Amino acid sequence: MQFGIFFELSVPRPFTRGVEYAVYSNALEQCRVADELGFDHVWAVEHHFLEEYSHCSSPEIFLTAVAAQTKRIRVGHGAVVCVPEMNHPVRIAERAAALDLISQGRLELGTARSSTWTELGGFRADPDMTKKTWDEFVRVLPKMWTQDNFEWNGTSFSMPERNVLPKPYQDPHPPMWVTVTSPGTEIDAADRGIGSLGVAAVSFDQQERRTKEYHRRIELCDPVGGFVNDRVHTMNYLYCHEDYREAARVGLPMIGEFTTLNSHLYWTREAYPTPAYHALGNIGQALKQAAGSAEDPSVRKGLPEGLGVGDPEHLVRVIERWESIGVDGINFVLNTSETIPHEAVLESLRLFAKEVMPKFRQPGDHTSPVPTVLTRSTQAAPVEGTPASGLLESRTLASGVGSADPALTGVAN
Amino acid sequence: MLNGTASINESLRIPTITHWTAEPVVLEDVTCFQLVAEVRRSTRIELLPPGLHPTDPSTLSIQAWDVATSPWGSFAFAFARLSCRSGLRARGLTMAAVATTQAAAEGLAATYGFPCQTGRIRLASHYDAVDLDVDDSLRIRAVDARPLGVEDVQYTGTMNLAQTPNGLRLVQVEADHSPTQVKRLRGRIDHFTAPSWGDARLDPYEIVAATVAAETSILLPPVRFVCRPDVSAFQGTEKVVVG
Repeated sequence: MQFGIFFELSVPRPFTRGVEYAVYSNALEQCRVADELGFDHVWAVEHHFLEEYSHCSSPEIFLTAVAAQTKRIRVGHGAVVCVPEMNHPVRIAERAAALDLISQGRLELGTARSSTWTELGGFRADPDMTKKTWDEFVRVLPKMWTQDNFEWNGTSFSMPERNVLPKPYQDPHPPMWVTVTSPGTEIDAADRGIGSLGVAAVSFDQQERRTKEYHRRIELCDPVGGFVNDRVHTMNYLYCHEDYREAARVGLPMIGEFTTLNSHLYWTREAYPTPAYHALGNIGQALKQAAGSAEDPSVRKGLPEGLGVGDPEHLVRVIERWESIGVDGINFVLNTSETIPHEAVLESLRLFAKEVMPKFRQPGDHTSPVPTVLTRSTQAAPVEGTPASGLLESRTLASGVGSADPALTGVAN
Repeated sequence: MLNGTASINESLRIPTITHWTAEPVVLEDVTCFQLVAEVRRSTRIELLPPGLHPTDPSTLSIQAWDVATSPWGSFAFAFARLSCRSGLRARGLTMAAVATTQAAAEGLAATYGFPCQTGRIRLASHYDAVDLDVDDSLRIRAVDARPLGVEDVQYTGTMNLAQTPNGLRLVQVEADHSPTQVKRLRGRIDHFTAPSWGDARLDPYEIVAATVAAETSILLPPVRFVCRPDVSAFQGTEKVVVG
C-alpha cells in the first residue's frame, strides 16, 4: 500500500495579501515532513479560477519547489489538464520532463480534462471535445518524450517534425495516470495502460467493482506509453489523532468544508448540455450515497464510508479494508481552507507515519524509492508497436515502484 | 463560502402561497426552451438572499415552456433564474416570470411561488432554430440545432421567494422533465430589458448554450421543502406539512 498527500491548495476567505502565501508555505512544509516520514507521493492538482476551492493553477511550479526541498517522495503532477486551450501538449511534455529531471526521476504524470464550466468556459474550451483531446494527448506525450523526431497531424493539434526537449529522467518516461471521477473513466485508464487516480470519494463496493474491472481490462490493454502503469489509487482525507473523538471533532469539519466547496463548483453539465459530461462531479457521486437526501437542501451527508479520520487503530482497519479490495495507494487531503491548524496537520502526519504506516510496510521496504534509470534504448523508436518483451520489462519497472528490489532503486539522492 | 447579500423584502416581486397542496401538477405536451448566459461577477452576491450561495460564474437561465395541456389549460410560460446553491444543491432563483394566461399565472404563483405576471410570449420552434419573444422585454434567436441525447440536458431545481404558511420562505420547486427529443443551439439575445426580468443589474453578456426539448410532460410535484431566506439551508430548511 502506498500513501500520498494530495493538494488542492484551497484558500480561506478573505483573500487578503499573504493568505495564499501562507497556504503555499504550509503545504510545502507538509511536503517536507511527509518526505521525511516516508510518504510515497505528493500530488498537486491543476485548477483555474476556482476561488477558495483550489488556487493551484501552476502545479508544476509548486511541485518543482517540492522536488527541490525533498529527497525521496515522488511528485505527482495530478492532473495536468489535457485541453489545448489550457495546455499545448508540447508544453506539457516539456514541463513534465523538466520536472522529472529536477526531481531526479520522481515524477508521476496525471492527466485530466477538467469538469467545471468555470474552467472550460474561462478558456472558451469546447466541452464536447475534451474527451477526444485528452485521448490524443495521452497518446502523444510518450512519443514526445521518447522520439527525437516528433511530427503530428491530429484532431486537436498538428506540428511539423521537431525534437521535444528535454527528455525525461525516467526511462522510457514517467508513469502516467488519469484522474477518475465518474464511473467508466477507470476503463479508459485500463484500456490505455495507465494508472487509475481516484479523485472522488467512493464507497468500498463501488471501488471494488471498479478496481476489479480495471485489472481485468488492463490485462488486455493497448498501452499508450512504453510500459503499463497498473496501479489504482484512491482519494481520502486524513486526520489522525490518539483520541478518536478529537479526530472526528477536528477532521470532519475539514471534510464538510471540502464537500461544500466542491458542491458549489459550477459543473459543466449545469451550463452546457453535452454528452461529454454526464457526471455532476465529485460530490454529485457522494450525494447519491446519502439515502433519502435527494432533495433536502439541509442534508450535509453524502460523506462516504472508509474515511481516514480517527485514531490509529481505526485508520488501520479502514486502510486494511481499502487494501482488501485491491487499492494500491491512498492519497490524502490533509486540509481544506486551513480549517485545521497547520501544526495539527503536521502532528496528524507524524502520528499516522508512526502508528499506521508501518502496518502496511513489509520489513526492509524502502519507502518511495526513486526508480531506476535504464539505458535509453527505445529513445528513437516510435512507441507504437512496442514489442511484447519491452512491455513485459516495463511492467516489471512499473510494479517495481515501491519494491525493495535494490536493482530497481539504482539512483539514490 | 460566499452568501447572498440582497435585501430580502426589496429585491423581488413576492407572491403569496396561502396553503400547501398535496397533489402534483402535470403539464403535458410541452416544448421547453432554455438559454444559459453568464452575468457579471460583480453582482453575483448582491442579487441573492443570504440563504443562497452564488456560483462562479453566475448565470441567468431563461426558460420558456409552451404547454398544450394542463389544469390551467394551454399556456406559455417564461421565467429567468439566477444560478445559485441552496446548501449543497444546484438551484436557480427565479427573478421574474411571465405566463400568457391569468389562470396559469395565478396557479404558478399560488402553488409554487413563481413571481408571475401575465404577458405575451411567442415560442416558435423551427427545424433548425428557435425564436422566443416575451412582451417587449426579451427577444432571443437560437440557431444551428444539433441533436443531443435526452440525458444530456440538466434542469436544476428552482427557488422562489414567497410569502407562505411558514412565513417568508424560499420555496423549492423540483420540476421533473421528461424530454423525448433534445437539441442544442447557438443562442443570441437580441433584446433584454433587465428591470423587467427582476433587476436592472442583470447583464447576460456571455451566452453559454441554448436547448430546446420536446417533452411528453413536466411534472411539478407538491412543494416538499422551504428554506428561510436569511440563513443558510443547512440551518433554515423546513419540511412542508400539508393541511
